[in-house]
Amino acid sequence: MTQKITKSQKARMQNPIIQFFKYLWLNIKIIRIVALGHGGTRKG
Amino acid sequence: MAKIVVLGAGISGHTAASYLRRKLSKKHEVLVVSPNSNYQWIPSNIWVGIGRMTRKDTVFPLTPLYKRKGIGFKQAKVVTFHPEGDAEESMPFVKVEYTSADKKGQQEKVTYDYLVNATGPKLAFDMTEGLVPGTNKAYSVCTYDHAEHAWEGLRALIDKLKTSGERAKILIGTGHAKATCQGAAFEYILNVEKELVRFGVRDRVDMTWISNEYALGDFGIDGMLLSYGKDVMKSSDMLEMVFRDRGIRWITGAGVTKVEDGKAHYENLDGEYKTEEFDFAMLIPAFSGHGFKAYDKAGGDITDKLFKGFMIVDADYTPRPYEEWTVQDWPETYQNPSYPNIFAPGIAFAPPHTISKPRKSKNGTDIFPAPPRTGMPSGITAKLVADNIIESVNNGKITLPHKGSMGNMGAACIASAGYGATQGMGISITTFPIVPDYKKYGETGGRDVHKTFGDIGLAGHWVKLTLHYAFIYKAKMRPFWWLIPE
Repeated sequence: MTQKITKSQKARMQNPIIQFFKYLWLNIKIIRIVALGHGGTRKG
Repeated sequence: MAKIVVLGAGISGHTAASYLRRKLSKKHEVLVVSPNSNYQWIPSNIWVGIGRMTRKDTVFPLTPLYKRKGIGFKQAKVVTFHPEGDAEESMPFVKVEYTSADKKGQQEKVTYDYLVNATGPKLAFDMTEGLVPGTNKAYSVCTYDHAEHAWEGLRALIDKLKTSGERAKILIGTGHAKATCQGAAFEYILNVEKELVRFGVRDRVDMTWISNEYALGDFGIDGMLLSYGKDVMKSSDMLEMVFRDRGIRWITGAGVTKVEDGKAHYENLDGEYKTEEFDFAMLIPAFSGHGFKAYDKAGGDITDKLFKGFMIVDADYTPRPYEEWTVQDWPETYQNPSYPNIFAPGIAFAPPHTISKPRKSKNGTDIFPAPPRTGMPSGITAKLVADNIIESVNNGKITLPHKGSMGNMGAACIASAGYGATQGMGISITTFPIVPDYKKYGETGGRDVHKTFGDIGLAGHWVKLTLHYAFIYKAKMRPFWWLIPE
């Protein structure tokens, strides 16, 4: 059964204060995943 | 002195040219050849397509920037490749044809020591009968021109709905059985939905998503298992949750074959031929190679040494069944094996195979997404190609210390789901690696779930907006632009 987005979840998704901290967290997390590190997959 | 020619000035070509110019001494020449006189930040076209941005927000002219930075520029398109030169020219060269008004149609040989082919895809609207942007009520957001037309079409429909009280149907998704770039269509449908709410007509519009993906959230990368809050869920479940919340119906496993006025004909994986009607549609076309030809010194056709649709690079192209595919099949340096001074980052390289599982309809038609290489992977692969060329020029011989396989590279898809400083919405998804590594991450669907996550909220919209301004700043090569990662 697919989850539903509840009213309280929606309120959190649009709450500018919560979302401001999430914005900082998202930027750091995205930079860590995307920018910091890529390489080859083959040996030798 | 070395001469590096970059074909294309999109995300990949412009990134490569910028880094080459920054790190190579001025005695070396960097020359960009592109048929378009503007740089365009394509990811923001979806906002042009809903009238929230205009063309001037997403493009800027290349000539003044390149003049200031010491990068040569020819507004021209490449016609043929001559990696061994010819009877009159001993250097390798590409033949180009000018597209600028003053020299339109003139051809010229452009020699090089190193060639970066960043020509991207051809938008192959012709592969779907009747799919021509701006006709048959069907539009595209693949270029800023297309996106502007899409907004004109959508605006006309909204105006009609506001005055007539009629109902309407909107269809958004992929316009070919093997199209890619589902992410752009996904962003567009959510933005259109949000705009319809803003204009007070949402309750009179039936919205449908149509896609060649087997399941929602495949995105051409075989879907993913991702962290969402404290849960781990499939990307298909996440998208289903969003579509249900927005009241959007979906059709998956559908290959659109023909578009007529207000009608999209498609075949599904069950082999059924169906039709979906619409008053406004945005359908992403198939991407194809440009059909370039290549010739050796004697004038013999060597196209198959350089191209396999897109450009051949250091991938393993041995045909194998899906179950035997590995991340090692994917290229690491984007170097052509026959001509080591030619590279093809971004969309220009020929992938070894798709990432999503290939599927056929009961009639034998291939219906599955082509692999995406847009956005962040385009920038990352372009930078590593530039870094390898810089090392090679400085060492006097080809050296390739920089590697970046899509099987060992992360990507973020920050999908706008509605515009607005306080009412906006974004769906942020990261994936690591882009190509699933089922050996390394066998328990979690080929991905590292600590680095593969999804999040929905206003913050995602702010991130997307930040990326818009940051990447245009970077593309304009403003002070310290190189500190902004790809």
